[in-house]
Amino acid sequence: MPSAPARLIDTRGPRFAAAVTSVVLAVALLTAGGWLVAAQAAVFAAGGLAGLRYAPYAVLFRTLVAPRLGPVRDREPEAPPRFAQLVGLLFTVVGAAGYLLGAPLLGAVATGFALVAALLNAVTGFCLGCELYLTVRRLMPARTA
Amino acid sequence: MLAVALAVTVAAVRWARTRNGALRGADGEEADTIPTAVLEELGVRPADAELTVVQFSTAFCGPCRATRARLQQLQATRPGLAYVDVDAESHLDAVRALDVRRTPTLLYLRRDGSLLGRSSGAPRAEELTALVDAHTGARDGWGG
Repeated sequence: MPSAPARLIDTRGPRFAAAVTSVVLAVALLTAGGWLVAAQAAVFAAGGLAGLRYAPYAVLFRTLVAPRLGPVRDREPEAPPRFAQLVGLLFTVVGAAGYLLGAPLLGAVATGFALVAALLNAVTGFCLGCELYLTVRRLMPARTA
Repeated sequence: MLAVALAVTVAAVRWARTRNGALRGADGEEADTIPTAVLEELGVRPADAELTVVQFSTAFCGPCRATRARLQQLQATRPGLAYVDVDAESHLDAVRALDVRRTPTLLYLRRDGSLLGRSSGAPRAEELTALVDAHTGARDGWGG
């Protein structure tokens, strides 16, 4: 768990990123585009592994979208959406592998799950990846601090 | 395939809008008491207030923050309300014992320690306020 002071981000950033992700994954699903899913996986990897300030859609939001939206109304810690990027990475890696390695059904199902999660986040702000955290965590043995 | 994903999303959005954060009563199959040992481990003392709200949170929970702020604000103005925020990760035994699956999960306890209800997901602010007011407003309390 990060012990450094929580980095705060504009709450509209992840919503915007989820909307872009939804469009990308919808096109990928329509075209069975394995490379497009792989590209989205790379986007998730950047945000989830390096930090949201390196996430391509977050950069897009900061430079092009945020200046047109007006002042920041609400900030949130980076950890939840960053964790969700890692969950998205997991699904898109499986999706891309499915499409590119000759298992299109697996590719479509994994990509479909990622699309549902991204769309749900874009529409309602509900973070499915974040919700999974405790569900997964409670299956694992306690970690001594 | 896209149509399936969209249909699932619509269902999920509908679910999130109606069920997420909604109070579920403790009647029915769920036991309406919580083992004293579990409450003690969490540092919860229901006898100290008309209504005790226990929130389970994690570091990766966005809506936990807003719910916490809301409850702290309510606590400041309603003397009958006690609020305990629990880090789910450091109390995994309690998390399993109470079958907490998501964050924020809120447990609402009466003064006698019985469970009034629980909710999973961030409750709507006005519903939370109404619930707290309904159970802390009366001077005599009603939980025993």
